[in-house]
Amino acid sequence: MADVLAVHQAGMVAVTDLGRQGHSRDGIPPNGAADQFSAAVANILVGNRENSPLIEVTASAFAFTTTRAALISVTGAPATLTCGGRPHRMWEPVCVPAGARVAVHNVHNGLRTYVAVHGEFQVPFVLGSCAPDSLLEVGTWLRAGAELAVDTDYVPVDHPVFRHPVFRLAAPTPRFGSPWTIDVTDGPAGADFVDLDRTLLSEPYRITPTSNHIGLRLSGPAPTRLDTRELLSRGVPVGAVEVTPSRELLVLLRGRPVTAGYPVVAVATRVAQSALGQAAPGHVLRFRRQALPDAVAAYRARRRAMDALTARVRTAFGCVGIPCH
Amino acid sequence: MTLTVAPYGDSALLATVSGGSVEDRWLAVRRLADAVEADGIPGVLDVVATYDALLVEFDCARTTHDEVAGALRDARGTAAVPTPTTYRIPVVYGGEHGPDLPDVAAQLGLTERDVVRLHTETPWVVRFRGAPAGAPMMDGSRFPAPISRCPRPRTHVPAGSVAVSGRQAVIYPVRSPGGWRLIGRTPLRLLDLGYRPGDVFRFESHG
Repeated sequence: MADVLAVHQAGMVAVTDLGRQGHSRDGIPPNGAADQFSAAVANILVGNRENSPLIEVTASAFAFTTTRAALISVTGAPATLTCGGRPHRMWEPVCVPAGARVAVHNVHNGLRTYVAVHGEFQVPFVLGSCAPDSLLEVGTWLRAGAELAVDTDYVPVDHPVFRHPVFRLAAPTPRFGSPWTIDVTDGPAGADFVDLDRTLLSEPYRITPTSNHIGLRLSGPAPTRLDTRELLSRGVPVGAVEVTPSRELLVLLRGRPVTAGYPVVAVATRVAQSALGQAAPGHVLRFRRQALPDAVAAYRARRRAMDALTARVRTAFGCVGIPCH
Repeated sequence: MTLTVAPYGDSALLATVSGGSVEDRWLAVRRLADAVEADGIPGVLDVVATYDALLVEFDCARTTHDEVAGALRDARGTAAVPTPTTYRIPVVYGGEHGPDLPDVAAQLGLTERDVVRLHTETPWVVRFRGAPAGAPMMDGSRFPAPISRCPRPRTHVPAGSVAVSGRQAVIYPVRSPGGWRLIGRTPLRLLDLGYRPGDVFRFESHG
């Protein structure tokens, strides 16, 4: 069944998903939700596939109504969430009556808040993803007055005593706010720098205003490179911490060019990359060295927590007859 | 030639080829990339093949560095390299479309006409599709010397700009920031061409 989400207020708001994976060889970066963990959990909490399209609200306000009753969830950076004027919890499913105004504002201690709606937003896909890409000039940006179709089989739950069920699914929630602790593993050019322990791994680094979805530019003491040879361009992963010839530190995010010719001194872990997607200009990063097996173990623990949440959602939704996908 | 495989963060490996010629290393990387794609190694998400290295990204919850490294060492790139396709690229050189042409000529001690002649005489070989948006990274330069980059990169390079830097050439497929020297512009929409590594670009001067 089709539902329509009518946008009443939207600052910097886009429809996205987990990104355009598998096209790096063709020079196309993944993009997609900057905070992959929060985005995936928002979808899990409404019974969607983790990679379903959802709404990313960047440091601004968003308000909408739906023509039919809807099941939504809001995750990511802490924000004020109201439905029909009443406050609601983030990181839990919320039953929204038809026509009730849902508002997300006061995003703080982070940059991006995610809104998932049970069902599938009907938006254009390019190379398997709806994620905006500023270079390919694709993506669905929402403005006040816009309407977004949702294909959903959600049937509103009506209880004789409680109009709407209240869920307490205990989604795992990360810590938000500056200073952010960013776990990193060693980078391939780490050995070319003499003073990583005294700079990158002990000093605070502030995010400058020229940062964006491609990378964070940092101000702070630059490590010193012994080797001065120019490097051949090679593939570089998301999370790479580069030192430019002008001794500026750059952390690559999901919109990064797939190749780079700057030395990479460290790589942010998969878990830390979600935090990087939340860190705002003016915020402080503190890098912490992590051994490779520990980084892998942390990511696997997070994956298990997400799978356990999915199981709880399925059980709870199964009890009240909400379909899961 | 030797293949070195090393971790690159918790979700990637970098395989580097050493020894042999530039051409040998590039062919070895390309064969390895094709083999990785053909083998469908479980958990592998993406590869980036460049001049002498292959970045392999994977889901570290589904596989391990050791497993993927083993699969890379065992990968046998036996697939035949396809016959290269030659693309003819019409270019308007100089003027507003190639604002750096006078500068490139001055760097090389040539006339602008000579720069255009050398650029159009060169069969430029696409080595890989890079940033931004799958830009064809080409080499084979017949210029007498490498060309330096712009001291201050432009914030907006128009789509279709034909540029040179070092001993490489590129066409910007989309409007983007860039630090290479712009010598001309093509009206072709690069995203529609479907070129692959190994293909050849021949530029043609149109007034």
